[in-house]
Formats: sequence, C-alpha cells, structure tokens
Amino acid sequence: MSAAVIDLSLPQLALALLLVAAVAIVSIRQALGLERDLLLGSIRTIVQLYGVGLILAAVFAAARWYWVGLILVVMTAVATHAAVSRLPKPIPGGYGIAAVALFVSTGVTLAYVIGAVVQVRPWYEPQYIIPIAGMILGSSMTSAALGGDRLQGELRVRAAEVETRLALGFSGREAMQPLVRSALRAAMIPVVNGMMTVGLVQLPGMMTGQILAGSSPLLAIRYQIVVVFMQAAATALASLFFVRLIASRYLTPAHQLRRYLL
Amino acid sequence: MNDPIFEVERLSLAYPERRGQRVAPILKDVSFTVERGHALTLVGPSGSGKSSLLRCLNRLEEPTAGTVHFDGRDIRALDPRRLRRGAALVMQTPVVFEGTVRDNLRVRPADVDGDLSEARLGQALADVGLEGELLERDAVTLSGGEKQRVTIARALLGDPRALLLDEPTSALDPPNAALVVETVSRLREARGLSIVAVTHQPELVRRLGGMLLYLVKGEMQAYERVGDLDVRLQAFLAGERAAGAGDAS
Repeated sequence: MSAAVIDLSLPQLALALLLVAAVAIVSIRQALGLERDLLLGSIRTIVQLYGVGLILAAVFAAARWYWVGLILVVMTAVATHAAVSRLPKPIPGGYGIAAVALFVSTGVTLAYVIGAVVQVRPWYEPQYIIPIAGMILGSSMTSAALGGDRLQGELRVRAAEVETRLALGFSGREAMQPLVRSALRAAMIPVVNGMMTVGLVQLPGMMTGQILAGSSPLLAIRYQIVVVFMQAAATALASLFFVRLIASRYLTPAHQLRRYLL
Repeated sequence: MNDPIFEVERLSLAYPERRGQRVAPILKDVSFTVERGHALTLVGPSGSGKSSLLRCLNRLEEPTAGTVHFDGRDIRALDPRRLRRGAALVMQTPVVFEGTVRDNLRVRPADVDGDLSEARLGQALADVGLEGELLERDAVTLSGGEKQRVTIARALLGDPRALLLDEPTSALDPPNAALVVETVSRLREARGLSIVAVTHQPELVRRLGGMLLYLVKGEMQAYERVGDLDVRLQAFLAGERAAGAGDAS
C-alpha cells in the first residue's frame, strides 16, 4: 500500500512554504498586519508537527503498551485543559469534572471501537489506537465545551426560573433539567447535522488521508463511517457527563442553587 | 398567643469567600417570631437583606449561623422540598413557564398530589382577582400584574401554611396593587395563613397588621407591632409612599 505513496522531500516542503509567502504578500499589500502572526504560525506548524511526528515515530517503533498509555494520558490532559478553559465562568472542581467526562466518554468509545468494531490486535497497536483516540477526544472536548458554555449561559438567564421550581418543591435536579436539556441539544446538534452532509460538501480529513495513502475509497469510507458513529457516541457521552456534573456543582444537597457561582 | 409558625434566632448570612472577593455579610444576628395566622412585614432600604431573609425561611439560602424553626421544627431537619411546599415563596419578578395559565397553575413535582380540578383552578384565579377564562391564555402574553397574580395563585394551590411574599405589589398599578393587598389580607383572615412579606407599600403593612421588622444593611433596626410604630418608622413608610406607592425601587 505504502509503495503507492509519493515521498515528500525537504525541497518539496520548501515549495509548500511558498504558499504561505503568497498569503504574506496579500497581508502586506492589503495592510492586514498579519505577517508577524503568519510567520509565527508557520514556524509553530513546522515545529509542533515535527515534534509530534518524532514522538509518534518513536512510539510506533517501540510499540509498548505503556508508551501508548502515556500518550493517551497526555492527550486527555490537554483536551481537559482546553475544555475547561473554554468555560465562560470558572467553577470549583472544573478540571476534575472535565477529566472524568473526557476519560469516561473516550475510554468507553475507544474500547468499543478498538476491541469490537475494528478488532485491533494487540489493542495498543499505535497505528490504530492513537489516531482513533485523537479523533474521539477531539469530538468529546468540543462537545463538552459547547455544552458547558451553553449551560452557564442558560443559568445566567434562567436562574430565577430554576429557583421558582425549587420554591414550588421540585428537587434540584428536576429544577435544572430544562437547562440541562437545552445544553445537551446545543452540544449534540453539530454532530447530528454533520451526519446529514458528510461526504457531500467536503471529504472528511481522515478519509482523504487514507485515500492519499493509497487505500481504496471503499475501504476508506468504511473507516469513515466508523469514525462518524464513534464521534457521535463520544459527543453524547462527553456532553452528558460534563453538563450533568457541572449542573450538580451549582446545586447543594439541600436543593439550593449556588447563586454566588453564577 | 404563643403558637409560632416561624422562630428565627440569631440568623446570619454571608456569601462564602472566593478568589479575589472578601466574605460579604448580608444578614447579621436577626431574630424574630411569626405567630401562626399572623403577619410579619420586612421593610428597609434596598440592599438591606430583606429578600435574602425571606429566602432563608424556605431554605433557598443556607444561613451561615443561627437557626430557623418552622412549625416547631428546625428547618435543617426537614426535607427542603416539603418545607418549601409548606412555606410558599412568591418572588418579586414573577416567573411563568411555557404553556397556558392552566399549565402554570398545575406545575408541581410528580410525587405531590392534590386537587387540581378546573373548579379549583378557577377559584384560585378568582382569589387573586383574575377571570376564569384566563386559564386558556398563553402565560407569556400576560401583563406583569397578571403574571404576579398567577404566581400567587400557583403558590396558594399547594395549600401552604405560610406565604412568603417578596414585594408582591411592585409590578402592579395602584388598582391591582390594592386588589392584591385585599386578597392577601383576606387569605390571612379566612385561611389562617401566616404571611411574611417584603413590601414598600404602607397600605399592605397596615392591612396585614402583626409585626414589622426594619432592616438596614442586614441588621435589625427595629422590631415592633404595626399598631404602634414609632415616629421613625412612620416617617420611613410615609417616605416610601411619597416616593410612589407600589413602585419598585
């Protein structure tokens, strides 16, 4: 399969850099002031991707479960930080909540895809588990951030509604449920909508990559179908855990709303 | 008379310390008693902690010190959900849920039963001076005054023993404010309902009778029988009237 792939030499990469030079010219002539960021961005693109590439090459060569495990832990930690930092308002215990939500949603989905669907043997084969885990974590992180953002927005606007339900004798969970529902919908709608147009507007990145790497399009779409479904599952699980756990941080055991956290 | 519905002893409330923010005291050492079937009105400048005090009584807020007894029991020993059905709070800004007025009057936890027949819903609306045909109306289309009265009717449908009212007339024009004053006073007399009300309305204070508690910056400045208020409180209430009776401030 890999015999079909054209090797990319460093001079060829340098040619690709000319594309960025074109952007820089546009920026200068239109006085966009983006040259500095463009330069920094280009350097970061090269350095970060080379760094990741070297690490992955080493892990692929070693093929040890503990190295793979370490990579997965680092990926989850970065995704946790990203999900928490996107909350408009910090909440106590936010990191723990995000870590639990991402770990559980990614762990469950990843185990199912690796163990039952793709049936990778051994399970820690880096070529499969690392890219698949990355895609799952990416979806989990985005949906958790979307759901958390929406829940906090709803709480700011609808706190009086929650307290009105509490005052009528509803439990904290019942009083919060309409807000949780709306946050979950906000988190999941992009994925559901994405399933409607997948492949029609743009070929998904992973499928494109597989085709470039010489896979037959029919095998590539099978993988892509698995990816879409696993991203849907990860999205649902991550937003469910994240939104529910955040909602519970705003409530006390005595069914009170912690207004000072709003 | 010595049959208290609420006994509040040395109650204090402060919001917990958080990053960059000091502890903010809201209520300090507040003590009072409300006799069953009687009223207490809470008055004082805005920001004095009146609404927070009301919210301590049904445990929407957790006091940092002191005790509240409802019907002879420490409220911390009660299920908050039952406490709140026994001591129904009507908020200053009325919240109506999606749906009709009927839907709104029927809102209650699934595990709570009680008579919600058409006749009773109609009666609940009549009690607050609203027409029965309003049941069909989409609740969000009601005026502020109508919403306020629907929320009072909704609270009464749970058969509470005490009614906690946070400025019940602030959203109402004078005729409707008078009607709510009338309704609330009548309910207290007819049903033996105990009432704790935050209000700026001298009319409501007088009609409810009972005791009056004057709060400034979370501290009790006076606690007196409404029948014989001292000059200072009479002047305060008169000032409230001059500022515009029934006006939210």
